[in-house]
Amino acid sequence: MFQSPQAINAQWAWQPYRPSAESPWDLKKAGHLLRRATFGPSWDDLQAALRDGPERTITDLWQGRSDAQAEEVYGTMARTIAGANTGPDGQNNGGQISSLWLYRMLYSPHPLREKLTLFWHNHFATSNIKVGSARFMLRQYDLMRGHAQGNFRTLLVEMSRDPAMMIWLDTVLSQRNRPNENYARELMELFSLGVTNARRPGQRNYTETDIREAARALTGWRIQNNEPIFREADFDPTEKNVLGQRGNWRGDDIVRICLEQESAPYFIAKKLFRFFISDTLEPAPALLEPLATEFRREWNFGAMAERVLRSNLFFSQHAYRAKIKSPVDYLLGIVRGLDGHRVAEAGQGGVGTVELARALEGLGQRLFYPPSVAGWDGGRAWLNGQTFLLRQNLALALTSTNDNRFGRRLDPAPFLRRHGAQTNAQQIDFLVRLFLQGDVSAATRERLTQYAAGAERATYPVYWTADDAANHRSRTLCHLVLCLPEFQLD
Amino acid sequence: MHTTRRDFLRFSLAGSSMVALTGALPNFLGRAVANTPQPQQGGARDTILVVVQLTGGNDGLNTVIPFNNPDYVRLRPTLRIQNSLRVNDSIGLHPAMTGLHGLLQDNALCIVQGVGYPNPNQSHFRSMDIWHAASTAETLNEGWIGRALRHIPAATSFHLANPNESAPLALTGAPARVPSIATLDDFQLRLQASSASDRRQQRDLLNTSSRPAENPPPSLLDFVQRTAVQTYASSQRLSEIGRNYQPRVPYPTSALGNHLKLAAQLIDANIGARLFYVTHDGFDTHAAQAPLHTSLLRDVSDSITAFYRDMAARGQGNRVLIVTFSEFGRRGHENGSQGTDHGSGAPMLFVGGRVRSGLVGEHPRLVNLDNGNLPHAIDFRQVYATLLDQWLGVPSRPVLGQAFDAVDILRRA
Repeated sequence: MFQSPQAINAQWAWQPYRPSAESPWDLKKAGHLLRRATFGPSWDDLQAALRDGPERTITDLWQGRSDAQAEEVYGTMARTIAGANTGPDGQNNGGQISSLWLYRMLYSPHPLREKLTLFWHNHFATSNIKVGSARFMLRQYDLMRGHAQGNFRTLLVEMSRDPAMMIWLDTVLSQRNRPNENYARELMELFSLGVTNARRPGQRNYTETDIREAARALTGWRIQNNEPIFREADFDPTEKNVLGQRGNWRGDDIVRICLEQESAPYFIAKKLFRFFISDTLEPAPALLEPLATEFRREWNFGAMAERVLRSNLFFSQHAYRAKIKSPVDYLLGIVRGLDGHRVAEAGQGGVGTVELARALEGLGQRLFYPPSVAGWDGGRAWLNGQTFLLRQNLALALTSTNDNRFGRRLDPAPFLRRHGAQTNAQQIDFLVRLFLQGDVSAATRERLTQYAAGAERATYPVYWTADDAANHRSRTLCHLVLCLPEFQLD
Repeated sequence: MHTTRRDFLRFSLAGSSMVALTGALPNFLGRAVANTPQPQQGGARDTILVVVQLTGGNDGLNTVIPFNNPDYVRLRPTLRIQNSLRVNDSIGLHPAMTGLHGLLQDNALCIVQGVGYPNPNQSHFRSMDIWHAASTAETLNEGWIGRALRHIPAATSFHLANPNESAPLALTGAPARVPSIATLDDFQLRLQASSASDRRQQRDLLNTSSRPAENPPPSLLDFVQRTAVQTYASSQRLSEIGRNYQPRVPYPTSALGNHLKLAAQLIDANIGARLFYVTHDGFDTHAAQAPLHTSLLRDVSDSITAFYRDMAARGQGNRVLIVTFSEFGRRGHENGSQGTDHGSGAPMLFVGGRVRSGLVGEHPRLVNLDNGNLPHAIDFRQVYATLLDQWLGVPSRPVLGQAFDAVDILRRA
């Protein structure tokens, strides 16, 4: 916790941001919006956002574009993978579903939707390590994606009978006389309430008895022919007492009862706050109150998320560079920055997402394989000595010509030429604006300049041409910029 | 030829631009190493502690098993273990733990039964935090090992990391951040350089550009800069060591086996390493527990046994102590899914040349359970106090906030 959250005025915080003389719409704010709402901007994305202004840019991001061709490619791949991999998990189908989603993140005309789907994947963190079915994992993904900008209550009800979730948290094995408590516990602890009261710290939201009683109400669910079914014979039909309410409750009643608790809207609002605003700022209940009050009415998550994106707080210093990039944001940010997604549009074949998925595993964010039901810790936990070095080394693999994994499709040398950056100074300036929106010290910029000048005078292997040396310089400058500590900040 | 601690010091940061950061650097890079007692020095503390975390809640009742207790048979109609490895006439080890059972015969395994804490919390995350912080306070910011390291700042520590894993709470609060490392080979910064001098210039640029400001306000940028500087320095130092290590016994090829082998390599490099932290996930066995639990325990047993035997073969068996713990045990009675739900008290295992081999404490009773949870007789902070006072040589009271009675785990030296 770096700043005093009390200092933030809750009314001001959630009012829409309007550019002003003190807080103009500029490259930094455009980069900030595109990092948080998508998977990182290309140069053209930045320029378009600068031109369109925040309101129109957010509206466009929120609605996305339709791209029938991309969707058809995705659909074909998804059907193939789901159809071919219904058995126990293997490296194969695990890698396929991860790379399938990365494909969509990278090439989708509606990246904000994928970003919010990732929010939900982290919230309802389900791992294929136990589910062992590409079909079910993709079905859960479709469910989250379908409601990513929609209604939380509907999503929570549907999630409770989602086959992947039923396997992940053992609903499918729960017996009427000996219920399995796994789902009941996480429904309260991780999906709707949290352990302690959002407004009264120290007060518990539920007891162990509430969990046991709720577990009885959640019995009766099985999977048949790949579909969830409710079987009366497996359901415990006796009275349950959950969070002070007595009745012959079923699963949907438990969701209703959870959402009636005071903590529920705060719990979700706080998670969204952490996702869009800051890793380190601990929001006071009073700051979340305007969001929570509105959210509780209809559980319209989309409206809350859009309000946050448009808000004063989102575009303030409290949020700016206040997150560590997740591995997905880090890697795709490089690919998109180097126009990797445009290469595909030009019909040259894009960056392969199978290798990207493999790389993410080493960085600690294997999609569809979160480390536990609590999802990824995120924030500072993304970076330790090992993952930090892996990030730098992956940036090298993406931008060098010595590594075949990514098909050398992101070569910074022709990329910089395409964008008209010829001299050392032009290249450094372009890379620093593209990847960092200028957020480096004058000293660092000077060191890059010195390095490039020195490299120009250096002796190269005899078989290198002048072009080889210039290209090497471009690639190295790009890698060095990507290795700056500033680039780790979202 | 072995790289000695002295060789290691020669590559230290004296004179480099990073000296100002010494306080934030892993201590094996700084001067503190010079103060580490030499193993051969009489009375010096050179003990090594390896903490193995069993994540998810290990089923203690099927790890250390009261095999002929009729209540065990009643509580575990499908999951009961019938062919346990005898410890005595009433207690056996899970049959997958042949390695550890062998260590029992070599007087190198101590089993402490019924460890827990009052009013157990059954959330994975909360209970894990309680074990890490050695406290049940509402807000937990510091770990027991991190606090202990303030008393032994020269003790080099490593978090042997899985890809999906953040630095554990147990290690926070240390005077210098504990580096996370997966393999020595991957712990290198790769650069595309046209010459040695180009490589050096790139490295210098990154080192210098990563230096944090003097007395910066706490910020994420400062955090990243410190991570960068620490990591560049550590990786350069670690590239010089560990080249001569060859395991004396085969290790399992599992993640846990690889991590413990890396621990052996770092110990062999003689850089003053005294604390290792490694986690092993998958113990949350709510359903179809038997095959999963068997393979988990086999891995734990084989990996720890290999590590201990490797160390013993190097004459270091008396220097090492491996301890296992889990955030809780599981419910006494199995559920209807051939699994077990979250419980409380459970055993802890200790491996090393200086343990008091055999059982400590009684197996928890299996009748009159509180909501099906096994009672604890030994507070886990008693175990920590023992490890601190008797093994690491750190006064336990300031670390744990109060005095706890010791547990009879270690033989007197």
